[in-house]
Amino acid sequence: MIGHFRKTLWRILVLLAVLAAAPALADDPPSPDELAKIRTGNAACMACHSEAGLKKPPKEGVDLKALRKYLVHADTYAASDHGQMACTKCHGDGYDNHPHAAKAREGLSECQDCHARKAMRIERQFDKSVHAENLSDTFTCATCHDAHTMALASKLRDPHKIVAQDNKICLDCHDSDLAFARIAPEKKKRPPIDDIHDWLPNTRLHWKAVRCIECHTPAEDKLSLSHEIQNKDKAEKKCATCHSANTSLNARLYRHLATEEQHKYGFINSVILGSSYVVGATRNPTLDFGLIILFAATVVGVLGHGLVRIITTRLRRSKKND
Amino acid sequence: MTKRVFMLPLWIRLWHWSNALAIIVLAVTGMSLHFSDPALPLVEFSLAARIHNVAGVILVGLYAVFVIGNIVTGNWWQYVPKPPGIIQRCLRQMQYYGSGIFKGEPEPFPPTPETNFNALQAVTYWSIMYLVLPAVIVSGLIFLYPQFSPDTLFGLDGLLPIALVHYLGAAVIILFVVSHIYLGTMGPKVSSLFKMMFTGWYEH
Repeated sequence: MIGHFRKTLWRILVLLAVLAAAPALADDPPSPDELAKIRTGNAACMACHSEAGLKKPPKEGVDLKALRKYLVHADTYAASDHGQMACTKCHGDGYDNHPHAAKAREGLSECQDCHARKAMRIERQFDKSVHAENLSDTFTCATCHDAHTMALASKLRDPHKIVAQDNKICLDCHDSDLAFARIAPEKKKRPPIDDIHDWLPNTRLHWKAVRCIECHTPAEDKLSLSHEIQNKDKAEKKCATCHSANTSLNARLYRHLATEEQHKYGFINSVILGSSYVVGATRNPTLDFGLIILFAATVVGVLGHGLVRIITTRLRRSKKND
Repeated sequence: MTKRVFMLPLWIRLWHWSNALAIIVLAVTGMSLHFSDPALPLVEFSLAARIHNVAGVILVGLYAVFVIGNIVTGNWWQYVPKPPGIIQRCLRQMQYYGSGIFKGEPEPFPPTPETNFNALQAVTYWSIMYLVLPAVIVSGLIFLYPQFSPDTLFGLDGLLPIALVHYLGAAVIILFVVSHIYLGTMGPKVSSLFKMMFTGWYEH
């Protein structure tokens, strides 16, 4: 009870702090000059923390085994959400000199230092997730989200890219015994990912076209997809949730595109057609209507023909009898 | 006194009825998938998908039986509309369906063991069996293995043209089925042709 009260109080305090700091946080992107300065500063870090740096360290005595674990790809970083930020923004005290201070990692900025409001919303969802249930102590934002590579879905826009980025996060652990064992509770065995999804036709193709979270999160958060990752007991299993005219994909994978052209070439949910043909969801109502009419006309036609046959046969018979 | 003539060997009858069953199952499940609506499912989507896949593979097998059986027995010749006067004979047949039958006229080209089909039947059956059904089968197989479809086509998913061919072809087959069942009542008696499809004997 007290713990809960403390948590709520903490949340209110953070919220107040964020609201007070909001103008300061609503940073404009850096000017070209500032960006150049940031890039120069980051280049000093990349001198070691890149493939090139690993191959040819700029100074002697670098622990290459440790360095290998902390490489950043410059282009991927530049394209990521944090790509215009200085490394030092998060990697502050203790990172200025090399070797870095032994306790430098402890001073690393936390996600909620900048994303306080988002973190509060997400934490409430995360607390209900299967990850919180099994691994609440060890599971952090960074377990899934690599701050050096992540790009928001709204920024990526291309559904294939969004799916590739997001599913990689899940599959990196759930499709690898080694990675799974690193963070899973002891004795917890990794369920074979293909076996538990064998009810889903064309499983791997589904995973190229939609994200795991399409089914494994509840559809309640209007601002973004929920972080309440659900296990098989709660996850969506009804195909028609996506495979129907009123497809939930519009509120999920295609939410950033859903405002675009929705009736290209007369297809409903036509924005989905750019990357996937979804049976039941991407239909052409004009074509459907035409074919239904044609079917009805054929049925009525043969029934009518049969009726005329019955009537004329009776008439002929009664004439013969007369 | 009715005359009996043996018209259809066992393999054709067995093929015909298994094919008919497969087509009906595919049509019902196919409609459930295409017009999928969680509020009023004809057959629930995942069940429909599973049945559709199995019945589809069975249909492929039956089609192979049809083609091979036709080649081996020479039955394929029945499906070839033979000149001269194909168009005239088709028109004559249509005229019979359109008016002659109402006046009690006799069937202009009744079936014989040598010529099972009238010209209109031959043309229709040939088109359905050698044009439309293969298109539906091939597009269905690509649907079953979508990794073989093109990735994109004209900026849209590459599966779209495959889906359209499958959908339109299936619609033609469903329209054919409705007319085919009705035309089955056009024998000497309403039941004659259905009886022939089971026993192989044509009574007239």
